[in-house]
Amino acid sequence: MSVIVLVEHTEGSIKKKSLEAVQYATSIAQKTGTTVSAIVLGTLPNDEMENLGQYGAHKVLNVPDARLNELHPRAYTTALLTAAQQEASKIIIMLHDINGRAVAPRVAGKLKAGLVAGALSYPDLDKGFVIKKAVFSGKAFAHVNITSDVKVITLIPNTFQLNKGEGKASIEKLDVNFSDNDFGITVKEVNKIKGEIPLADAQLVVSGGRGLKGPENWGILEDLAKELGAATACSRPVADAHWRPHHEHVGQTGGTVRPDLYIAVGISGAIQHLAGVNGSKNIVVINKDPEAPFFKAANYGVVGDALEVLPKLTEAVKKFRQNHK
Amino acid sequence: MSEIESIKAIKGGEFLIRETQADSVFIPEEWNEEQLMIAETCTNFLAQNVVPNLTRIDEQEEGLMPHLMEEAGALGLLSISIPEQYGGFGKDFKTSMLVTEKLGAGNSFSVAFSAHTGIGTLPILYYGNDAQKEKYIPKLASGEWKGAYCLTEPGAGSDANSGKARAKLSADGKYYLLTGQKMWITNAGFADVFTVFAKIDDDENLSAFIVEKDFEGLSLNTEEHKMGIKGSSTRQVFFNDCKVPVENLLSERQNGFKIAVNILNLGRIKLGGATIGASKEVITSAIRYANEREQFGRPISKYGAIRYKLAQQAIRTYASEAAIYRASQNMEEATEMYEASGLDPIKAKLKGTEQFAIEAAIIKVHASETLDYVVDEGVQIYGGMGYSAEAPMDRAYRDSRINRIFEGTNEINRMLTVDMMLKRALKGELDLMGPAQKVAGELMSVPDFGGADEEGLFIKEKKYIAGFKKAILMVAGAAVQKLMTQLGKEQEVLMYLADMLIELYVSESLQLRVEKLVGLKGEEAVKEKLDMMHVYINDAAVKIANAGREAINSFADGDERRMMLMGLKRFTKTEDINTTQARRNIAAKLIEANKYCY
Amino acid sequence: MVSLFGRFRGGYMKILVCISQVPDTSTKIVLKDDNTAINNQGTTYIVNPYDEWYALVCALELKESGTASDIHLITVGKADVEPVIRKALALGGDEAIRIDADSNDPFQTATYIAEYAKSVSYDLILCGKESIDYNNGAVGAMLAGLLDIDYIGFATDIQINGSSVIVKREIEGGEETDACSLPVVIACQKGVAEARIPNMRGIMAARTRPLKAVTPVAVDPVTEILAYELPPAKAGIKLIEADNMDELVALLHTEAKVL
Ligand SMILES: Cc1cc2nc3c(=O)[nH]c(=O)nc-3n(C[C@H](O)[C@H](O)[C@H](O)COP(=O)(O)OP(=O)(O)OC[C@H]3O[C@@H](n4cnc5c(N)ncnc54)[C@H](O)[C@@H]3O)c2cc1C
Ligand SMILES: Cc1cc2nc3c(=O)[nH]c(=O)nc-3n(C[C@H](O)[C@H](O)[C@H](O)COP(=O)(O)OP(=O)(O)OC[C@H]3O[C@@H](n4cnc5c(N)ncnc54)[C@H](O)[C@@H]3O)c2cc1C
Repeated sequence: MSVIVLVEHTEGSIKKKSLEAVQYATSIAQKTGTTVSAIVLGTLPNDEMENLGQYGAHKVLNVPDARLNELHPRAYTTALLTAAQQEASKIIIMLHDINGRAVAPRVAGKLKAGLVAGALSYPDLDKGFVIKKAVFSGKAFAHVNITSDVKVITLIPNTFQLNKGEGKASIEKLDVNFSDNDFGITVKEVNKIKGEIPLADAQLVVSGGRGLKGPENWGILEDLAKELGAATACSRPVADAHWRPHHEHVGQTGGTVRPDLYIAVGISGAIQHLAGVNGSKNIVVINKDPEAPFFKAANYGVVGDALEVLPKLTEAVKKFRQNHK
Repeated sequence: MSEIESIKAIKGGEFLIRETQADSVFIPEEWNEEQLMIAETCTNFLAQNVVPNLTRIDEQEEGLMPHLMEEAGALGLLSISIPEQYGGFGKDFKTSMLVTEKLGAGNSFSVAFSAHTGIGTLPILYYGNDAQKEKYIPKLASGEWKGAYCLTEPGAGSDANSGKARAKLSADGKYYLLTGQKMWITNAGFADVFTVFAKIDDDENLSAFIVEKDFEGLSLNTEEHKMGIKGSSTRQVFFNDCKVPVENLLSERQNGFKIAVNILNLGRIKLGGATIGASKEVITSAIRYANEREQFGRPISKYGAIRYKLAQQAIRTYASEAAIYRASQNMEEATEMYEASGLDPIKAKLKGTEQFAIEAAIIKVHASETLDYVVDEGVQIYGGMGYSAEAPMDRAYRDSRINRIFEGTNEINRMLTVDMMLKRALKGELDLMGPAQKVAGELMSVPDFGGADEEGLFIKEKKYIAGFKKAILMVAGAAVQKLMTQLGKEQEVLMYLADMLIELYVSESLQLRVEKLVGLKGEEAVKEKLDMMHVYINDAAVKIANAGREAINSFADGDERRMMLMGLKRFTKTEDINTTQARRNIAAKLIEANKYCY
Repeated sequence: MVSLFGRFRGGYMKILVCISQVPDTSTKIVLKDDNTAINNQGTTYIVNPYDEWYALVCALELKESGTASDIHLITVGKADVEPVIRKALALGGDEAIRIDADSNDPFQTATYIAEYAKSVSYDLILCGKESIDYNNGAVGAMLAGLLDIDYIGFATDIQINGSSVIVKREIEGGEETDACSLPVVIACQKGVAEARIPNMRGIMAARTRPLKAVTPVAVDPVTEILAYELPPAKAGIKLIEADNMDELVALLHTEAKVL
């Protein structure tokens, strides 16, 4: 009767967001008096798998078939169905990411199970099995009750806090009867994108204004962008003065950006500038003038000299990245 | 004709002496699913193809405008109401108005579009013979060829029939040799086909010719530098013994002026459509800015002075729109009626349009002046940014201004409004004298206070509108009697009368629109529209009273003046209402919607 | 121009495009009935952009290039969704099927579509990567499961050659090229095709293209929405000391969830 959780891994290590999923599963298992079985498809060093115990996994069911190192939705489904049957599982957890979204609905369909795609909360068991998720692209939330016996949930990454504990999961090999059809998809080529991030598509943007004083100071801004994996942008006067190329100019008369995070450095926040950036989900403003209008449109503010604050922020991000591999 | 038909067959200009039933007018809230889809296509086309290129269009980037026209053509937008046999879609007039309105928000593109589909295509469609239509219309309909219209000359603007361009038959009888110059020719820079007006030999009246750009003897001057619509091509076109094959004479010899006038009737109502399309877009920009811009710690849309402007922009646009589609429907119905009586569809269309030429002139003036009001206040709402050449109001403000000049200046259209009305009365087509005498009689009698206890949502407004009609009949009747044949020279009086007629027609159209809407959706759902009606008619009463007073004072005196002024007061009296609250309600909905939402 | 040489010109390839009706993107969400329902008074509806811009247009391109013969559109909804189906038909498609049911449960929706699809046996089923109302992005993959065929999500490019399919799709931090055979379900996003504007011919044809209502098979939903909630108003700004950038990073991680 264990809670099953699909664990994603890449290049021999488990993705951090899958640890969140394991921990989420653990929380449910504790409330329902069961245990957590983590499913690892493909090949992964044993110690990585054992370490899932630190997040509450009781055991790992591993299918050490190297073909599964790549996503094969049908094969993944077959494996998960096998595991679910073997464990008599009623609750199956995955991530709401590219892989999870290809597999979870398939599994749910096969099991006639209710699916909550993109969970933002733990299930409320008092009211049934009620989970909160975003709808209308974040304009509202819905509280969804799963009424079927079996329940499938995909989690929004970075939503649930990690608490590392003690423990070691046992590893069992899971025998799965794959058919040829399970590997009907052949991966021909994989291209990881490197280099500059296009501004319009960027999830993270670092933008500089006249407060940076001159083009010679853009190095520290680019350092931060690089550390974050962010694109760079600027205010109009900066582009007009040729400190930065014109395609970086955002605002009413420039480009529009809607990233998850917009960091404005030395930009006053004129209405013309805001017009191009106020669709950003989060805005951080760094400005030495506490009265700068941009602070009113910001979620987080730092009052200080950009030339001093930027390197510190870059340092902090670097530290964070090292701790959250 | 059965009785029902005769009731439906409202005649042009009759609004002055007849009451119209609300259920007989068309209101834009009745667009059907297909029409809304077409409108959406227009809006999407502007958003994707035109708006991102406005600057390049205004810089007249080589080939861009003709390319946009071709793209519009590929979507079918150049041939909405062209008959199917010529590659068009044979849609009704209102649908083509809707397309004109939606594309009207496209600045210079809108001018190129309107000129091509209107004056560029229609003369051939309506007056061409089969061979001419087969040759030119399918290509114009698809956008492969672009059209232009050459009437204006250096010495002949408002007085269009006074042009100097001449045509004479060549020695071999195969060509007309066309000589002269035309100016202000929209689309000239890329047009393939020009409808050119010129007199043959020493004719009294103009004839019209279809001239292709490659005909020998046609040349173009460079682009004019204009205040606005900078992306619209405007050039002089020179004809130097230009060889026009005789088969390219359009319609009959000396029929040109009639063609020009009839095409203008359509052009005027279409211009009305295009300008309210632009108005709605400008209002949306103004609302967005007012909601964003903060001063003294609050968005400026929270301030009464700004809300007043937003409300006023919307009221005038909504009212103008009511008049435009009411008249469009009338034209369509009149066309159907003529067709049913045996006229061929194109003649029926021309007659149906001509029937409502007065309304078309009224709409041209009201809608173009509405847009000018809307852009002016738009600039004001934007404050300093309104004056920036990089904010949207700059282009809107400059581009709006032409609309009061072309398709007949607003002065010419005002004069036409009164002139056509009186001419129809003289011809016995419109019985103005009877009602005017009745009003004169009413002046002597005890005022009629009847109806005061009648109930109904529109009782008061209907009474006010009936009063407006009486006021106009009184002033016009007295002016005609007093000034007789001199009236034509007393242009100031004509202007006042035109203003009164315009306000009457728009007030009534608005009242009918809201009445019909209440019938469709219920009072609660259209509260703000009732507010608009109240405010508009309240203001119209003041305007009509003022214009009437100026007119009376300019030709009457003594007891007669006193009596007429008293009558005018009575006919334009309205109950006091709280227009401030009404405007606040209207603005609140705009601000909440963050766009023009009526 | 797409070359037809060496390409399967069978002309029998049938495509099913799944479309859904969603509120216009500028719609403000207002709740009613004690937050148990969305107030849809005055809401204008559009075809889900991913379905329209990418899935449907991709299908149209395949037909225009001679690869596909028939394009069917399918949606689950009551009669009031028909105007939106006709909007899609104005772009193209040979016929539309409306499963006459209201559903916002992915399993129920996918089952309805799967049952219909079985009766026609499509070669290719296209859908958008997700619908912008419930944001589940689940129907495509579930449908593939119910039909026991392959599924590729987040597609950015689709090439069909005979019965073999080459799809580029988004992966974390890059792109992958996959190959498989028909039949397959593909969920489309930007890149697969260029959005089109319906033209007059299409708009006028939309009315004449068959749109049939189909009675749904009996299947119960397995989820239910008990209540809705609106996001809290934007909280005021949080000020962070200039020499405490670790705190800022922590907030961006745990609160803003952007790192
Ligand atoms: C028609 C028009 C269109 C426009 N369109 C756009 C547009 O599209 N995009 C756009 O961005 N602008 C646009 N503008 C310009 C806009 O009005 C502002 O002038 C511009 O955004 C200001 O740029 P800024 O914030 O970089 O410079 P400033 O307004 O000069 O602000 C510099 C800021 O840096 C701060 N600062 C100074 N030194 C430091 C330091 N050492 N550390 C930290 N902070 C410091 C200051 O306190 C100040 O707030 C437009 C203007 C007009 C008239
Ligand atoms: C951008 C642009 C595009 C144009 N496109 C075309 C086109 O494509 N084809 C074409 O043929 N023409 C076109 N025109 C010409 C346009 O129709 C004329 O400019 C217009 O009719 C006015 O003529 P006008 O310029 O000669 O002014 P005028 O006739 O000289 O008028 C000057 C002023 O005198 C007033 N006035 C004139 N006569 C009287 C009168 N009898 N009583 C009282 N007041 C009077 C007018 O109202 C105006 O205020 C275009 C003009 C412009 C500016």
